[in-house]
Amino acid sequence: MSKEKTPRRKKDPARALMGPIMLFYFLAFFLLGMKGGNWESFLLSFAVPAMIYIGTFGISRLFPADKLLLSLTNFLCALGVLILYRFSPQRGLTQAVNYGVGVGCMILCAYVVRYMPGWKWSTVLMMGGSLLLLLLPLAIGTEKNGAQSWITVGSTSVQPSEIVKLALMLCLAYLLSQRRVVLSVGFAGACLLILMLQKDLGTALLYYGVTLVLLYASTGSLSLVGVGIAGGAGAAILGYQMFAHVKRRVAIWLDPWADVRNAGYQIVQGLIAMVNGGTWGVGLGLGNASVIPEYYNDFIFMTILNEFGVIFGLIVLCMFLFIIIRGIMIANRSRTVFHALLATACSALLALQTFVIIGGNIKLIPLTGVTLPFISYGGTSLVSSLCIIGFLQGIASRNEAGVHADRALASLGGELP
Amino acid sequence: MKQLKKNIRQVGICLCALFVLLAGYGAYNMIVNGNRWFSSSVNTFARQQKKNVIAGDVLDRGGVLLATTVEGKREYAADEATRKAVVHVVGDSDANVNNGVESFMASYLYGFNMGFGERLSSVFRGDSRMGDTVQLTIDSRLSAYIAGIFPAGKAGAVVVMNYKTGEVLSSQSFPNFDPMNITYAVKNDPQKPFYNRAVQGLYTPGSTFKIVTAASALQNMQDVQSRAFQCTGIREYGPRIITDAGTDLESGKITQHGQLTLLRAFQVSCNNTFAGLATELGDEKLKKTAEAFGFNDNFLFRDLVVENSSYPTSNRNEGEIAWTGAGQSALTASPLHMCMIAASVANDGVMMEPRLLLSATSSQGTLRTEFAPKVYRTVMTESQAAVLQEYMRAVVTGGTGTAANISGVRVCGKTGSAEVDTQEETNAWFLGYLDEEESPYALAIVVEEGGGGGSVAAPAAKKIFQWMLENGYAD
Repeated sequence: MSKEKTPRRKKDPARALMGPIMLFYFLAFFLLGMKGGNWESFLLSFAVPAMIYIGTFGISRLFPADKLLLSLTNFLCALGVLILYRFSPQRGLTQAVNYGVGVGCMILCAYVVRYMPGWKWSTVLMMGGSLLLLLLPLAIGTEKNGAQSWITVGSTSVQPSEIVKLALMLCLAYLLSQRRVVLSVGFAGACLLILMLQKDLGTALLYYGVTLVLLYASTGSLSLVGVGIAGGAGAAILGYQMFAHVKRRVAIWLDPWADVRNAGYQIVQGLIAMVNGGTWGVGLGLGNASVIPEYYNDFIFMTILNEFGVIFGLIVLCMFLFIIIRGIMIANRSRTVFHALLATACSALLALQTFVIIGGNIKLIPLTGVTLPFISYGGTSLVSSLCIIGFLQGIASRNEAGVHADRALASLGGELP
Repeated sequence: MKQLKKNIRQVGICLCALFVLLAGYGAYNMIVNGNRWFSSSVNTFARQQKKNVIAGDVLDRGGVLLATTVEGKREYAADEATRKAVVHVVGDSDANVNNGVESFMASYLYGFNMGFGERLSSVFRGDSRMGDTVQLTIDSRLSAYIAGIFPAGKAGAVVVMNYKTGEVLSSQSFPNFDPMNITYAVKNDPQKPFYNRAVQGLYTPGSTFKIVTAASALQNMQDVQSRAFQCTGIREYGPRIITDAGTDLESGKITQHGQLTLLRAFQVSCNNTFAGLATELGDEKLKKTAEAFGFNDNFLFRDLVVENSSYPTSNRNEGEIAWTGAGQSALTASPLHMCMIAASVANDGVMMEPRLLLSATSSQGTLRTEFAPKVYRTVMTESQAAVLQEYMRAVVTGGTGTAANISGVRVCGKTGSAEVDTQEETNAWFLGYLDEEESPYALAIVVEEGGGGGSVAAPAAKKIFQWMLENGYAD
């Protein structure tokens, strides 16, 4: 064997982060146990940190995963479980199960991206399947909050647009890597049209944003993006004219205080929850954010600000930002155009989704009903967010494998590409 | 591939910018609107928490107790006259008065902005939380005096402030009420005693707005001070006819000022001249000056919630523009804002932010926050302010405001008699200030249906200034 010295290990940021994260959840659940006096919380105060540890370092044994990305994701998911558990143990435990399912899907997605030999036929399949899935709610769907985007299977309801989101990213990344610009725009346009018909404008906004980002990344053409923005603006104006509930939302956004007890109630209570929390928060278990009707879903960030304060909220935002920057770094290290575009799409989608919902919460933009990735209550949303992380992990492991291959080649006297 | 990665990096930077936008906008909102949202009546959390906290005391600038908590119950100043005179500033425990100190400064009074360590230590000590003591810039003695001399039975408002620092010494709305004895009669009074006219009342400013018109003329017309104006008594703009006080078209009695300078026109409050100035300036320029003075601005003062003043934007025909120059048309402003306008002239064109909070001290005795003056905006140049100071002095020495004159003291002012369509009598206005280095005080008085500003509001201003000079405000 070679006597080559192993290079000195850099301090692993994931390992440095793990201590504080585990301590945080231990203390949080322990405090909840002290307050509520139930054994379940004490159990969770050990179980959750253990799950985070296994979820980070256990998974990275399966394939060369990006541990920093994993630990950040785990932190955010566990934060969702914590907040939900604090208000309703039932919801918290359901979310924990969702989280487990999500981690399974994440590993699956990572493997798919890592080992998939070619994407041509699967893209064709996914395109057809996506359109069919998106059309389903229009045929047999149920309406929630003004948008007809849910289908009910047995006792569970699923939002197909969350699943199609993943397919859209894969298809667009593949089509654009093959320079099929027109086809990809047509596909995205068809999806957007169906979403507009479902009146699911938040998701439509995300699809639109990701398409625009990918178009720019692959072509670098500002004029194309300009046309896209013009088209989007046109669609927005059309949507405003066509849908009464869009008009109402814009009016609420402009002045939620005009009708604080009805139309503006949710946003106003969200803002009040934020200022009640102030810099340091009112303390875990001491707030009353549950006066916000969607405190566990669309407004969960305001619930977090209420109990933990603005400083903590900024930390959470930074965690999202790190995930996104990490995603862009993975894209930059990718070996193929397809993988680079896919990683970019993943980052863009997470960033836009976070921006759209938090921006809606703090009244920066009109509120549209999308979930906060990883944290909001809801199976489909959590699973699809984790699948996105799975994609990133798969690409990261391919990059890693590529680097190893290069090193091996270099040690044999080959040239680096 | 290289191009692709460059594009991806650019995308990454844009995505990061979104997050900066989120954090920036959120922080901005918390700082600017935080207290307004917190003290909103729909904040159920604050209402719940108030039950667990012993609310702090409210003191006036001399240390007189205006509100305190006795055995869990909120009590107000011992003396009834004082209680009534400060009720609109302090508020009441049922929040009948909107945005009184009791609700708008709840974050101090109920100790909501305690630091992290403080909160922990109070948890460990186990005693109930005590709110901060809040000291106001208000002088309760001055307020009680003003309440005593305000025309009995009339509705209206008086605001007195220090024009160099922005401290509000008195802000009163009439009729007032006793917060410790809210009767059925008070609740059903058609004059609405709960309504805080000083900051919520939107009045037509009438001739007091001529300060703004004159400022606009000084800014936009080079020769305006040396020009000769001709007042014929009547100006017709289609159906809108501009006349002066005293004119009665039916009996054919017409007030005419003849040929006069801008100074003289200001002194006698000649509508004809100011209407002409407004049409000559044009709506745009006059609006620009008015907006510099704070019209159409969203007032976001730290201690006070003041209704926004508005310069009309719709239905702008020549007649309306002309009437705007004389302070009529659809112009509206609160007495506090008009006081700030007088104060800005006195303070050489610098408008100070009105403040109510002198200090807040925690129950442990540590100073939480202390008053520091802050400029709201500079509304005109020093030389323009100097001209207006001369004009406002002339109003008191030989114009419509002579009733406010005090011998040996440089009182300056501007009267107004604002016409309101629904009222028989005009609203009487007086804006004034003391042009004395040691006594930098400005005031605004409005008496609803009081009649002439010069005959009703100006004498009241004289009494208030005289009282202040005799009671320790001369040095």
